[in-house]
Amino acid sequence: MEGGSEYIIEVRGLSKSYGETRALEDVGFKIGRGEIFGYLGPNGAGKTTTVNILCGLLRRDAGEVTVCNLDIERDPVPVKQLIGVVPEESNLYPELTCRRNLEYLGELYGLSSTARRKKAEDLLEIFNLADRGTTPFRALSRGMKRRLTVAAALIHSPKVVFLDEPTVGLDVPSARDLRALIQTINLSGTTVFLTTHNLAEAEALCDRVLILVKGHVVTEGTSSEIRQRVEKTTTLSVILSGDVEGKSLCDACPAVRSVSSIDGTLHLEVTDPHAAVSQVVFFAEKQGVRILEIGTAAASLEDAFMTILENKVAERGGRT
Amino acid sequence: MSQVFSALFISRKDIESYYGKPPLITWGILFPAVLMLAIYVKDPGTYLNVAPGIIAMTLLFGNTSMAAIVVTFEKRSGTLQRLLLTPVTHRTIVLGKATSAAAYGIATSLVITAGLTLLLGMNLVNPLVFGVGLLLGAGIFSLLGLTASVMVREVFEAMTLMNFLRFPILFISGVFMPLEVLPAWAKPIAMVSPLTYVVELLRFGISGQCYFSPPWICGIAAVGFLVFSWWIAGPAFRRNASR
Repeated sequence: MEGGSEYIIEVRGLSKSYGETRALEDVGFKIGRGEIFGYLGPNGAGKTTTVNILCGLLRRDAGEVTVCNLDIERDPVPVKQLIGVVPEESNLYPELTCRRNLEYLGELYGLSSTARRKKAEDLLEIFNLADRGTTPFRALSRGMKRRLTVAAALIHSPKVVFLDEPTVGLDVPSARDLRALIQTINLSGTTVFLTTHNLAEAEALCDRVLILVKGHVVTEGTSSEIRQRVEKTTTLSVILSGDVEGKSLCDACPAVRSVSSIDGTLHLEVTDPHAAVSQVVFFAEKQGVRILEIGTAAASLEDAFMTILENKVAERGGRT
Repeated sequence: MSQVFSALFISRKDIESYYGKPPLITWGILFPAVLMLAIYVKDPGTYLNVAPGIIAMTLLFGNTSMAAIVVTFEKRSGTLQRLLLTPVTHRTIVLGKATSAAAYGIATSLVITAGLTLLLGMNLVNPLVFGVGLLLGAGIFSLLGLTASVMVREVFEAMTLMNFLRFPILFISGVFMPLEVLPAWAKPIAMVSPLTYVVELLRFGISGQCYFSPPWICGIAAVGFLVFSWWIAGPAFRRNASR
């Protein structure tokens, strides 16, 4: 059923409009098996529209979408059997208990009575809800609801899980727990498609990310690739045992473009971190000072994301 | 086959969550029971003329209203979307939801029928035709209720939409007024009302008489309406359920 493709999701030329509004325009990407793929973008970028198309809730206007080599519009039932979805809002049955919610979904995914009971118990255990099996879903805290919603998406052991803003509205410990669970899910071989506003979360979890702005793919790659594309330089932070003159350091180290000092820490803007470190070590020895601390302070994914957004705004300003 | 099982699971869950709850059962039984009792108290000799209409009305209002409440509630809470994410077809969802609504309508109608039989001495001359009438009526009205409710977002919108249909057809389908006394202009309209055929089948089951046409014609017409309701419910769900 899945074929031999190394990609579990392939999207080409995907477009979708709501009336006059273009929600997605010629979007394309591929996701490898077992990846955690981050789908990032500001509000209204088209993230949820993409997820809804990929999981068969929305019809596309144009393009090709395959999940496990199957087209969701041509083969919706087999595709849905292979995917699990955690929407932005937890949407389990409020009147049913946690256990009954899981078992009911197990019934719809075709699990045998023994299998769905066992799977429900296992998931309640994994998601720290074992003592809440008989509690109605509506009586759970927000964090517990989120955990049960993720558990429900895994009842049939899907190949791909779509997580739409999974940690939105959660307190810090709950969000951290959920992130750990996402990593656990991925370690079992499940591909994860994660949409999020939280760039630190994306940076920590995702193997690759794609940034979508106003329905267009702006960039795609690993977090470090995206940072490098945006920021051609890296910052080295250095603490020395004695004072040195910034200009002499700059002159002595060709890989260092500029030096600034804040509270005794030197911030060196460097073009080649590897060369810069050895040049700084050599310079320190020559000056008779010791290096107490040295490290890179590369731009974060958030910095890169903001730069991309600013560039986009500037581009649009230039056009108009 | 797995889709049929899924429909049964959906149906069982809906009965467990909604239709099996005491307030809904009470609501479904009390209104027609009180109406029937009022008619009986006023004139014990004529209640049998109205009984088929009241039972059909119980099906019509019970099924369409409950289907509307369930579907609009599930749309608002997101649980209908949850269902759409599972590997079941739109037709399976329609079948599952219509089956539970129909089961509710049949159960409440049977309670009314049992009350009429045990307390007021009503006889079922032809229980088979009566049962067929109940089944077909429950199916048609559940499907029509689902179709109307999936196209809107709020319960009141679904009720308003359905009331435009439900109340007028009460007066032209032989519920309160015998079909033979209808004005000439109303008779063609009665022919395109599914309620007419359901009332006639129930009437034949209770009294062995049909005013409008022979029971087999009423049966064929009701099956036609059932097929039509099934036919329009699928696309309506496909287009509107995830909105």
